[in-house]
Amino acid sequence: MSLLEVKGLTKSYNGNLAVDRVSFALEERTATALIGPNGSGKTTTLSMIAGLLKESEGSIQRDFKSGVGFLPQYPQFFPWLSALEFTEMAAQISGVDGKKVRQQSMRTLDFVGLGSAVNKKTGTFSGGMRQRLGLAQAIVHQPKLLLLDEPVSALDPAGRREIMDLLKSLQQDTTILYSTHILNDAEEMTDQLLFLKEGKLVEQGSLSEVKKRYAEPRIRLRFETEQAAMQFESRKLWPMIRDRHVIALPLTDEGPAMRQVLAVLANEESGIAGIDRQSASLEEIFLKVAGKR
Amino acid sequence: MNQFGVLLKKEWRENLRNYKLFWIPAVFILLGITEPVSNYFLPQILDSVGNLPEGTIMEFPVPEPEQVMVAIMGQYQLLGLLVLVLAYMGTIAGERKSGTATLLYARPLSFKAYFMSKWMMASIIALLSVWLGFLAGYYYTYLLFGSIDLMDLIRFGFTYSFWILLVVTVVLVASALMPNAGLAAAVSLGVIVISQLVDGLLGAYWPVSPLKLTAYAAAWFENGPDLADFWWTAGTTVLLIALLLVLGIYISSRKAASTKI
Repeated sequence: MSLLEVKGLTKSYNGNLAVDRVSFALEERTATALIGPNGSGKTTTLSMIAGLLKESEGSIQRDFKSGVGFLPQYPQFFPWLSALEFTEMAAQISGVDGKKVRQQSMRTLDFVGLGSAVNKKTGTFSGGMRQRLGLAQAIVHQPKLLLLDEPVSALDPAGRREIMDLLKSLQQDTTILYSTHILNDAEEMTDQLLFLKEGKLVEQGSLSEVKKRYAEPRIRLRFETEQAAMQFESRKLWPMIRDRHVIALPLTDEGPAMRQVLAVLANEESGIAGIDRQSASLEEIFLKVAGKR
Repeated sequence: MNQFGVLLKKEWRENLRNYKLFWIPAVFILLGITEPVSNYFLPQILDSVGNLPEGTIMEFPVPEPEQVMVAIMGQYQLLGLLVLVLAYMGTIAGERKSGTATLLYARPLSFKAYFMSKWMMASIIALLSVWLGFLAGYYYTYLLFGSIDLMDLIRFGFTYSFWILLVVTVVLVASALMPNAGLAAAVSLGVIVISQLVDGLLGAYWPVSPLKLTAYAAAWFENGPDLADFWWTAGTTVLLIALLLVLGIYISSRKAASTKI
């Protein structure tokens, strides 16, 4: 039984479909990345699951009673409340037992690295601190499902690294569904990928499944000069793509095997500088899927 | 602590830390004091800044202390109501527009507790402001014009309090209904002004109306209002407030999706 099952989820605004019949399931203690270009329906999908938006059609079935934890892309806090006051309020509204509120809030703030800023007003927080507090309020009641909308996109590389590490440590007890357009993050913490485009779910599967589907393995030949690469290209031995002094040979059924390429290169002074085997990166897959009709 | 208690504490902190708890009563106290003082010193004020032709003699009847208290209420009906509308127009609309409501709405929030906590805090501050203003005004009226029967003063303040509670409720419902604070203020002021205008023109046909509360409050200083009309009006006002509260809770819940995410 899945922790969350979304079936035919649809949201329309005045006849315009923001999310169009999206279906997927989340297993317990997994991390799922919702990726897609801007305006593809990621935030709308997360908002419906968080209960902030009512779906136009479809259903969201949860196999748990506790509330979800939700972190919007740009979390806004009451500037006159301290981090501790805000986190305690979040815990109390989420139903945390009164006696445990203080202890659980302190522990959570400590966990996200705000242990020394508990009494600081949130209005004085930097972007990184706000994101940490956003994460703290989302997890203070120990939800089974954590929904994160672009959790690290507004952060600098160091802040991103820290938040990603926190999220990875949460993954052991929590199911995480997060949207991102930073594909390195998706690659780092993902059991399942969901590609959204124009509101539709156009691709889904585990990272390895998706990579395999779009792998397009190829041999990459790096020549010393562009002229040498052009000379090799002019021989038209196999289908190839040249980009200045680099040539890519797709490993298709009609394409060459690595040893054939090596044999050709070994028998002549080709000006070869390097050779390796490559697969499509997640970014290339993203671009390909984003262009898919 | 239940959700109402948690949210009331949040409202208390907000009103304390953004100084509404201090400046709103201060404005009402100032208005309350200004009326008797300016009435008392009006001849001297006109003498010094009036630019009147030399030899002008103006006779000002000395107002009765009760008339001064009614005049204070008149100030509250103009400036006091404006202050309350401006102070509370963004209570809900502002939270939704800025996105601060999002982190509350994403929880199992009771909208009854949410709306009622805001109403309770705004009502406490509004009533506190009105009563402190009346007391300050009464003190100066007593010093400058003479005493007023204390029971009449209490009845006067009590009757006006019904009206103030109704105004606060209208402002909060407008704030729940409208997408931003400015529109909430416009709707609140529109409702208050238009209903007063209609009652002023046609009110002779109905003695029972919340809009008569100010007239009934003033009547305590004379022979007192018709008691049956007064109690029916007070009851109608309470019922109207209760209905508006139900409406406000319903609207806050229905409009939650419009919060900035």
